[in-house]
Amino acid sequence: MLVVRFLPPSRAPSSTLPQPRAAQERGGTGGGASSAEGTKREPHLAMDRECAQLLPALCTLLADPGQPLVDDTCLEKLLDWFRTVTETEPSLLVLKENPCLTELLLHTLKLQDTSARVLSFSLRLAGIFAAQEDCFQYLQQGQLLLGLFGVAGAQGRPAWTIPGVRSGWVQGMCSLAQHPSALQLLDDCGAVDTIFSLQGDPSLFVASAAGQLLVHVLVLAVQGTAAGQPLDWPPCARRIVSHLENALCSPAAPQVTRALNVLTSLFGRCPGPWAQVLWAQLRAPVARLLEREPVPAAHSLVDLLLGVARSPVFRSSDHALLAQALSQLGPTHAGPLALGILKLHSSPQALRTQALGVLLQPLAYVLKAAVQPPGAPGLLDAVAGSPGVVDALLGSKSSCAGLLCQSLAHLEELQPPAGVAWVGTDLPGAGAPSPSAPAEPTDALTWPQAPLLRAVVTMLRFCNGSAAPASSAGGRLCGTLAGCARVQRAALGFLGALSQGAGPQELVTQVFAILLEYLESPESSPTVLRKTFQSALQWLLHCPDAPSSCALGPQTQLFLTELLPGLRKRLCSPCWEVRDSALEFLTQLTRHWGGQAGFRQALLASEVPELAEQLLQDPESYVRASAVAAVGQLSIRGLHASPEAQQERLPAELLRILSADSEGFPRRAAVRVLTEWLRDGHAGLAEDAERLVARVLGAAGRDLDWEVRAQAVELALVFLAQTLGPPGARRPSAEAAPGPPRPPPGPEALRPLCRAQVFEFVFRALFDCDRPVARKSCDLLLVLGARLGPGSPGEPVGGGPSPASVEAALQGWRAGGQGQPLGALGPEAVVAVLRALDLDGLQATLAESSDHVEKSPQSLLQDMLATGGVLGDNQADCY
Amino acid sequence: MPEIRVTPLGAGQDVGRSCILVSIAGKNIMLDCGMHMGFNDDRRFPDFSYITQNGRLTDFLDCVIISHFHLDHCGALPYLSEMVGYDGPIYMTHPTQAICPILLEDYRKLAVDRKGEANFFTSQMVKDCMKKVVAVHLHQTVQVDDELEIKAYYAGHVLGAAMFQIRVGSESVVYTGDYNMTPDRHLGSALACPPLSRAAWIDKCRPNLLITESTYATTIRDSKRCRERDFLKKVHEAVERGGKVLIPVFALGRAQELCILLETFWERMDLKAPIYFSTGLTEKANHYYKLFITWTNQKIRKTFVQRNMFEFKHIKAFDRAFADNPGPMVVFATPGMLHAGQSLQIFRKWAGNEKNMVIMPGYCVQGTVGHKILSGQRKLEMEGRQLEVKMQVEYMSFSAHADAKGIMQLARQAEPDNVLLVHGEAKKMEFLKQKMEQELRVSCFMPANGETVTLPTSPSIPVGISLGLLKREMAQGLLPDAKRPRLLHGTLVMKDSTFRLVSSEQALKELGLAEHQLRFTCRVHLHDARKEQETVMRVYSHLKSILKDRCVQHLPDGSVTVESVLVQTTTPSEDPSTKVLLVSWTYQDEELGSYLTSLLKKGLPQAPS
Repeated sequence: MLVVRFLPPSRAPSSTLPQPRAAQERGGTGGGASSAEGTKREPHLAMDRECAQLLPALCTLLADPGQPLVDDTCLEKLLDWFRTVTETEPSLLVLKENPCLTELLLHTLKLQDTSARVLSFSLRLAGIFAAQEDCFQYLQQGQLLLGLFGVAGAQGRPAWTIPGVRSGWVQGMCSLAQHPSALQLLDDCGAVDTIFSLQGDPSLFVASAAGQLLVHVLVLAVQGTAAGQPLDWPPCARRIVSHLENALCSPAAPQVTRALNVLTSLFGRCPGPWAQVLWAQLRAPVARLLEREPVPAAHSLVDLLLGVARSPVFRSSDHALLAQALSQLGPTHAGPLALGILKLHSSPQALRTQALGVLLQPLAYVLKAAVQPPGAPGLLDAVAGSPGVVDALLGSKSSCAGLLCQSLAHLEELQPPAGVAWVGTDLPGAGAPSPSAPAEPTDALTWPQAPLLRAVVTMLRFCNGSAAPASSAGGRLCGTLAGCARVQRAALGFLGALSQGAGPQELVTQVFAILLEYLESPESSPTVLRKTFQSALQWLLHCPDAPSSCALGPQTQLFLTELLPGLRKRLCSPCWEVRDSALEFLTQLTRHWGGQAGFRQALLASEVPELAEQLLQDPESYVRASAVAAVGQLSIRGLHASPEAQQERLPAELLRILSADSEGFPRRAAVRVLTEWLRDGHAGLAEDAERLVARVLGAAGRDLDWEVRAQAVELALVFLAQTLGPPGARRPSAEAAPGPPRPPPGPEALRPLCRAQVFEFVFRALFDCDRPVARKSCDLLLVLGARLGPGSPGEPVGGGPSPASVEAALQGWRAGGQGQPLGALGPEAVVAVLRALDLDGLQATLAESSDHVEKSPQSLLQDMLATGGVLGDNQADCY
Repeated sequence: MPEIRVTPLGAGQDVGRSCILVSIAGKNIMLDCGMHMGFNDDRRFPDFSYITQNGRLTDFLDCVIISHFHLDHCGALPYLSEMVGYDGPIYMTHPTQAICPILLEDYRKLAVDRKGEANFFTSQMVKDCMKKVVAVHLHQTVQVDDELEIKAYYAGHVLGAAMFQIRVGSESVVYTGDYNMTPDRHLGSALACPPLSRAAWIDKCRPNLLITESTYATTIRDSKRCRERDFLKKVHEAVERGGKVLIPVFALGRAQELCILLETFWERMDLKAPIYFSTGLTEKANHYYKLFITWTNQKIRKTFVQRNMFEFKHIKAFDRAFADNPGPMVVFATPGMLHAGQSLQIFRKWAGNEKNMVIMPGYCVQGTVGHKILSGQRKLEMEGRQLEVKMQVEYMSFSAHADAKGIMQLARQAEPDNVLLVHGEAKKMEFLKQKMEQELRVSCFMPANGETVTLPTSPSIPVGISLGLLKREMAQGLLPDAKRPRLLHGTLVMKDSTFRLVSSEQALKELGLAEHQLRFTCRVHLHDARKEQETVMRVYSHLKSILKDRCVQHLPDGSVTVESVLVQTTTPSEDPSTKVLLVSWTYQDEELGSYLTSLLKKGLPQAPS
């Protein structure tokens, strides 16, 4: 029996959205989040003299309704900056030193026709400053905050109908609600009632922000107070809890949803004792939701139940609630709940079995639809399909595909990685238990590897029409699934994930067979084929008969041989996506098994290497780039049809691509492959590496794609390391002789680099207009400088340019000029220039963002001021 | 009640980025997936968490449709598909599919060029995302699934731009993306469009909702020719005085339009100053315009065989060394907002000379050098040094959007039930909204980002009509007229999910049923001591005199009929001075039956004595 213990997730899966930015809240007009997560806390973001000088004029501009308005992004960035400033400097000081800010707020308060943008900005600005209690008191002296946030303030203005203003109010309130004094303000301006109504705002952004604000206020209200009985809530918190309780009993689903969402956030943030009180008070109304038909706000209810289950308030008696939810909810909502339960650390065996049953049901139904009893053991043989599952599967195509894809995705998340917690097996046909496996925990669940494999293969067979249904319901399912690419992709994805577990020989054969069918079928769409390639690669890497990931067992060997005709066919596909995926697959195959005699033989007997080479001329640039990578990998492994001829021809071909291809991808790929060849000592480069490096750097230096140039610096670095040898290494000839480490190489050691014109390229790259190239080049020269060590430059030899002329050329390049080529640089000149250059200083400069000046607050303020004066026709222009 | 719901996550009362979610008959479609160029952090992408909370986007969305290759419409696509994990289909036209990755790649390179933007999508992600794209042809109806179908229409604007009609059953939505209704120099109609049409075009498809851009909602743009003349004049003057002209452009799009313009002008005026185009885009443009020749205008297509308009005689590939060459020249360089790379490098070289000129042909976001110089700043800090901008700075918008007139024209063409405005400023939208409502008599909406507009729709169910029934109508001499709706009586038969209207006789026959007649009856009491026979005659005469156009008959059994209305007279034994009139009629003569009843209730006229 294969047994796996479900481990808690280490991170959210990529297919699941991250925690909503909704939680951080955004401007109602689609502006930005109030959080300044994108803003780095850098010294130049402080409020300096220049900024302080610019602020009054900007405040005047903002206060003037007659002036054209700067756009939302500028105001967002300005708020980001103020947030940064108040985090590093005392808010009160900033406000007192810049009275124009308070004046702007007062002006907004007085002027009834302030624009919605400026009103929203002012509310948020006031909130940022009032977050610190002394600043809050300062602003409240003139009842400024009450004026802005109260009923007579923003709420009473016509602009309140604009979502951006309501959003500004919520965000401002959220910022200032950081200390007990804020609670009084909330009370004075009737904020809690406003928040209740904003929860139902027509704007998703405002409604969501209002929900979060409610959580924030409740947490603030209970902070520092001792938890007691439900009746002991502080007054503000009592109102909110009572509101939530009423909403949970409401017949209107939107109200229930809102209450559940607020509660879910609360259980993550509310202090422990109060969370206990809250759950004790609201558990019953939550449980009653499960008795309604249909269960309202099921999605939010699942989130809440899982949130509670992960929090300390959860008690073992609550397991019954989860079990009830699993049985009451429809399959679409029960699935995520089941997944969540299975990821919990400690839930009873019965509940986990029930949860696994929920996830397995759709697949069990598929399996049953194709199996005539008595057949091989299925999934959940004892459990009849729930009516909800059957309805979804036999209903419309969309509901069927939706449910199956969801179940497959959930199971894929649970699929244990290879070698983790496998502790024996009792499923028929499953592989032997791993000898190193830990002892089976008593509450471990059986991972039904073999039946799952069977179910997925069956599903894929239904999809491509090669499975015969065993019942009329099976027939309907078969009709629904036929040609359904969505299910095919999901099933192939899960099939690939299942490769990490063992499976009986006969099933692995079936897996290989279905993969081959998909690979060869003309019906397979490009996206399905891509998944097929990925799945096949995973099975090849994890195949149970393979002694190691790089060795091939007989079954894998056979599969690999059999898939080559399919691969050959796909390399000729009219769809570029298919040709590209096939080349990517070929590159992977060659990388892993290029050294295996069986694979080599089969590959050389197929026409695949020739076809891959032909694709170097493909009309699609992505394909040409993938062909370059594939041919490069084949060449490293010596997998050419005619090795001798290719050894000569391929480097020349790659150079041609580098010089002549109109697209960047193939050129980049060419330099990457040549770098790899150089690093690995590829036979084709061994004889005349210097000349090849010179030609590559010459071509790359003229390239307009900076990534080609950056990759060429990488190649130069590899060549440099090979020429000078690894740091501290002995000379090859002295290997046997004992002695001290080799001294730093002298200038003469640089001669091969000079002949390959590495320095001409690298010095020019140092002042490249694209910063990554300059940075890489600077790094290379720093490495070289460190290798050469301190010392005096030697006398120039030969007829090359003098250090002075090189320095002059560098100065010219630094100023942006192109200048003439340097000519043949001698090692001494290189050393001299290297020592004259302030590479550390240059590195520090290059480490800064290319637009750091434009991103600075001074620049922002200047832009806003300048725009205010001239903004006209181009204001709303775009592409 | 079926409904259509629309929620903009971007482009709702702004022009920052487009991302509009439409739910139609249970299908969820994302229209465009754009990036906001004004932000450098995750605010540049739409916040998809609002759509699904913590669910999987792939489970929620049925498809994504991209209208064209501009980054404010497709820039977030790799983020959506490779970072958020959307795995479903993405639809766009063939040229958009070809060009989209180039622009995404260009932007990615610029973003990576800047510090702090390492957490951006990679080249591989762009490619993997493009592999999920399903390219469509214009006017090709594409079946997304059994119920959802989409169809692309030509939109002008840039190569490959399309409007999309989305249909589920009888409900449909048209999304315009960006479009222009005026002819273009290099782009033209697709082959299947009406002859000589060189602007956006759509069927009279009468959608439930038209979602249209409204960038120039209040503008009637001056003639394109004037703008072009102005542009050429400025370039010519600068070159004549020996200056250098820098035109920062994005990789593909309006750049090609301006190239053709300059090339033609240079040819006509026999000018010698060199024109350069950076980043090898001339070849790229050539390649794509050759590939999608059907999208270019008729003139370009006609002359293609003799001369490819995109093989320029005067415009050559730019080499970095050329910037230092003496004498006048014109350089098209990327990127378009002067925020990095080659255009910025050339700008730095040329900015100090007042003879030189920079022409910004498009909008620049805050934080770029383009934005700074357009807002009049003349002293810039660059690479730790002050740069004084002495060169002439010009802004000339060549963005190709429909103006107010064009938007109205398109709406008239499509005849929608409702209009929803996106991609514009609130104030300007307000004006257009009123105009739409007044002139077209349609409901017009302009939701802000995050606001949902819900439109109830009436289900329209197709019904077949039997030939027999139609013949019977024809026999009555009423010829069918497509413009006039007609009322037709028959029996609706619902069988095997189809609906048919047939004559009642046919329905009975098909269903094997016997006919039953349902009659409405009413009793009217009259004081009349005369003999029953005489009362009947009085009733007959009275009705005959009033209903002159009707067929009133006195039957031998003593009853009177008017059409199907039957009037029978009886004398109650307990009161011979009273007569009871039993009036009965079928439902078809409901009106007549009611009328006769009320008439008889008023009594009979006095007989002459």
